[in-house]
Order: sequence, then C-alpha cells, then structure tokens
Amino acid sequence: MKETKRRMELYSFYDRTGMERHLAEMAEKGWLLEKIGQFLWTYKAIEPKRLTFSVTYFPAASQFDPRPSEEQETFYDFCAHTGWVLAAANAQMQIFYNEGLEPIPIGTDPVQEVALIHRTMKKSFLPAQLLLLAVGLLNGWMFLSELRRDLIGTLSNTSRLFSVFCFILVILLAAAELGTYFYWHRKAATAAEQGDFYETRGHKKLQAGAFLLLGLVTVWYLLRTFTGESRMMRVLTTLMFLVYVPGIFLLVNGIKAFLKKRGVSAGVNRAVTMGGSFVLAMALVFGITFLTLYGSSHGWFKEPDEETYVAGGHTWTASNDPLPLTVEKLTGDDREGYDRQLREESSFLLAHMEVDERPRFDVEGRKDMYWLDYEVVLVKVPGLYESCWEQLFHERDHWNDGEPEEEWNFYAPVDPAPWGAERAYRWDGPLGPGSRYLLGYRDRIVEIELDEPEGTWAPTGEQMTLVGEKLGN
Amino acid sequence: MPREKFRTLTEQMFYILLCLREECCGMDILDKVPQMTGGRVSVGSGTLYNLLEEFLSAGMIRETKVEGRRRSYLLTDTGRQRLREEYDRINAQADDYRRFFGKE
Repeated sequence: MKETKRRMELYSFYDRTGMERHLAEMAEKGWLLEKIGQFLWTYKAIEPKRLTFSVTYFPAASQFDPRPSEEQETFYDFCAHTGWVLAAANAQMQIFYNEGLEPIPIGTDPVQEVALIHRTMKKSFLPAQLLLLAVGLLNGWMFLSELRRDLIGTLSNTSRLFSVFCFILVILLAAAELGTYFYWHRKAATAAEQGDFYETRGHKKLQAGAFLLLGLVTVWYLLRTFTGESRMMRVLTTLMFLVYVPGIFLLVNGIKAFLKKRGVSAGVNRAVTMGGSFVLAMALVFGITFLTLYGSSHGWFKEPDEETYVAGGHTWTASNDPLPLTVEKLTGDDREGYDRQLREESSFLLAHMEVDERPRFDVEGRKDMYWLDYEVVLVKVPGLYESCWEQLFHERDHWNDGEPEEEWNFYAPVDPAPWGAERAYRWDGPLGPGSRYLLGYRDRIVEIELDEPEGTWAPTGEQMTLVGEKLGN
Repeated sequence: MPREKFRTLTEQMFYILLCLREECCGMDILDKVPQMTGGRVSVGSGTLYNLLEEFLSAGMIRETKVEGRRRSYLLTDTGRQRLREEYDRINAQADDYRRFFGKE
C-alpha cells in the first residue's frame, strides 16, 4: 500500500474553512497531511479516522525562518495542551489536528480570529496579490500600447499573445483572490461582533479552470513553436521553458533552503534570497540574451537556405527563401544574385508575411536591378480587417508631420479591378505617383512596392493580375 | 462598530485576568478557566496566546517567571483596576435587571 500521497491543493491562503473541511475528509479516507510544499501537499497513510482540523495563523512566522521561533514553540505548547497536534506549517499558516470528539477550538474569539487573519494577510497574501495584479495590469497596459503602435505585428505574434493570455489569467486570479478576501473580511468583521465566525470561501473551481486552461494553452503553444519554421524561436522557447523558468525557481528556492539549513536568520535569508535571486535572474537574462546575439552573429540559428558573404568589408547574410511572388515572375528578369528573405508570423487572429527581394551587395550592376518588397496580412477574424487596413493606410502619415499640406504623401485611390481587388490605392505625393500600392482583398491586405532601376513602377495589366493571383488569394 | 480594546472585557478576558490574580502560566489558565466556570467558559489555546500578548503590551499583566518556554504572569494594578471596572459594570447590569424584574 502507498505510504504517501502528493496532491496539488488549490486553496486560497486565507480559506481556512475550505482547508479544514478538506483535510478532515482526507483523514476519513486514511490520509493525514504531513507537509506543505511549494506546489504539492504531502499526506501520509493513516488508519481512516475522524479528526478535527484547525487552520490558524502565526503572523510573526515567515517562510524564511530556519526553525520555529521560541514564541511559536510556546504557541505549539499551548495547542498541544488542548490536544492539538501540528500537522504542517507553511510560513504563517499553521495546521493542527485533534483526535478529541469535541475539542476546544484553537480560536474561541471571532473578533480576535478575524483580526489575526487580517494581520497575517496584510503581511504576505495581500501584498503578493496586489503585486501580481499590478504586474498583470502593467503588462496589459503595455500590450494595449503595442496594439496602438503595431496592431498587425502584435496580433500575429503567437508568443506575445501567449504571454498576454498568461497575464490575463494572473489579473483574473489576483482580482478574484482580492475581491473574495475583502468581501469575506467585511462580512466576517460584522459577524464577529455578533460572536460568529463567518466561514471563508475560496474559488477552487476558478483556480482549477485557470490552471487547466493554462496547461492546455501552453501545450498548444509549445507544439506550435516546435513544429514551426523558426529555429531561433525553437531555441529561445527551449531556453525559456527548460532554463529560465526552472532556473529562477531553483535559484530562489535553492538559496532559501540552503540558508535555512545553515540556520541563518529570517531577515538575512530574505535579503540574500531576494537580492541573490534578482542578481542571478538578471545574469540569466543577460546570459540568454548574449548567447542569442552571439549565436545569431555566428550562424547558430542559421536557416538551411542562408549563406554569408563578404562585400565592402562587411559580412552579409543572404537567404534564398521560397517566395510566392518573385522579381523574375513579376518582371521576367531572370538575373541571379538576389537575396530573398521571407519573414512570417502567424496566430489564430492574423498571419503576417513580409518579403524583401533585393540584389546582393556582391553582385555586379546591382544598381540596375529590381528591388521588390511586399507584405501580406491574412485577417482570420473579419472584425480586425478595418483596423489592419487603417494601420497600413496611415503607417507613413508621420512623414507629413510639419510639412505643408501640398507637400504631403498619401495613398490615393486607383481602380481595384485590374488587381482583382476590392479596393486599391497608390502612393502619391508632390513628386507624383509612387511605386507602392495598397490592395484590399476579401480577407487579405497586400502592400507591394517594386523599385525599378529607372523611373516609377507603373504595373502592366498582366502584373496586376499576377499580384492578385499570387498574393490576394 | 469595532470593539474598543479592553473597554469592556469578554468573558474569556475576564476569566483569564481573574486567574492571574495569582501567578499562573498559560497552560494553567487553559485548565483553570473551565474549572472556575464549571465548564461554561473555555479559552482556546490560540486565543489565550494572543490575549496574553495583548494584555502584556497593554500593561495589564506582567511576566514573573521564565522556565524554558514556560512563562508565568501576574495581574498588574492596571489589570486589577480594569477587572474591577468590569466587575462593577456587570454588577450594574445585574442591579438594573433586578430593579425591573425583582428576584424572579
């Protein structure tokens, strides 16, 4: 028979009623709480029996204490005198059980109980939840700023959407914890004046749902990343999930546990753990960033079709990515020596492809060659179409800042039919029409520019049809 | 309205202070209160621990002896006076009751 059992218990720190009820049920099934770990609670096998549990708080205790203080031990002595045995403790939270049929509760004055819980929560739980809420809201604000600045780039970036999803969960859980706690505290303070203890209530289902959702979305994100094209993303994600997150966790807990074992005082332990963890976390961030940059410049993340070459005393990287539309297809110019780069981001909301096809720096007569660049936004959620269109339409408005109106550059409407598009605009300005076009298709937006060696690109009907066929569908 | 600290004493506070008319340690108090009240009042270990801390900081009791973790306490003059005031308050209540209901 199994002697121990480990479970993940999703109880709010103040939810003593929920914990007491659950632990009594576990004892009736033959499992007695033995230890509260960072993530898991450990139970040991016992003869199934009816036990009464009491979750109480010792505000002066800390998770950094090397051992219970003398005052805490005195408190344990008092409890032992009335039959209460310490089952486990986690920072300020102390969990006792009693084998008596109707034991005298550890707390017999509701006013004092509520004050004790509130004093404890003000020390650890409330600051931690407020900090989480603040971090979540700060990230939310940053996300909204990014959306305003670059809606297409932000919404097509799965990593950014994954991180904002995590922060939404953080905001939701911290707000639920704080809201539930303050509601309970208001009710409990009133009930205590009447001599009653108002039972605490957690939100186990919400927490369980949030963790399940987080797990599923994380698996989806990892699968998507590891089946994706980008080698750099695979390396970064591996570093993040296998080095950074576990590294921080091990560092914080390792330093804390080591100092506790050495009997270092709680104050010193707290300062060293916090300071050391901050420094080491920063070192990890810098280390990973340095490795990424170093790796990029040394070809660690080189895609199979990338090559480096030297021209004009500089080392350049050239790609030969397969492009949906090339200079050759568009113009019939089949000269060699192009650097073909395609960058693609895709999420469940948008897919964003950016293509540059430019002559390499080591090619003779590069000034007489075409330069083609285009981007295609595939809008998977129709409601986002107009916002994406607006971003591309107004992306260069700042060029006109401070200029008189007659000097402005802008997109002017042209006939969309030859492009097979629903709407079409051509870049225009004081120097006349340009070589850039913005085209709107049913669920795609295409912005394309072809620099010709001489003059401005005035696409032929054939070229417009080709663009529509290759990029608009 | 929150209860003003020690303006009136709860039954538990009253009997803890009453115990401390003579030197007692915490565990003695846990035993004595139910004995004194015929089991009508008992004090929880956590409640007692916290009340002793509060009485000490309010100067109502003082520490008299420390033997390992066993600490003994005794009522101070302030504590005695507060206990007396509580006794007077309870008596006044009893007098009022008798005035209206007689000795029924």
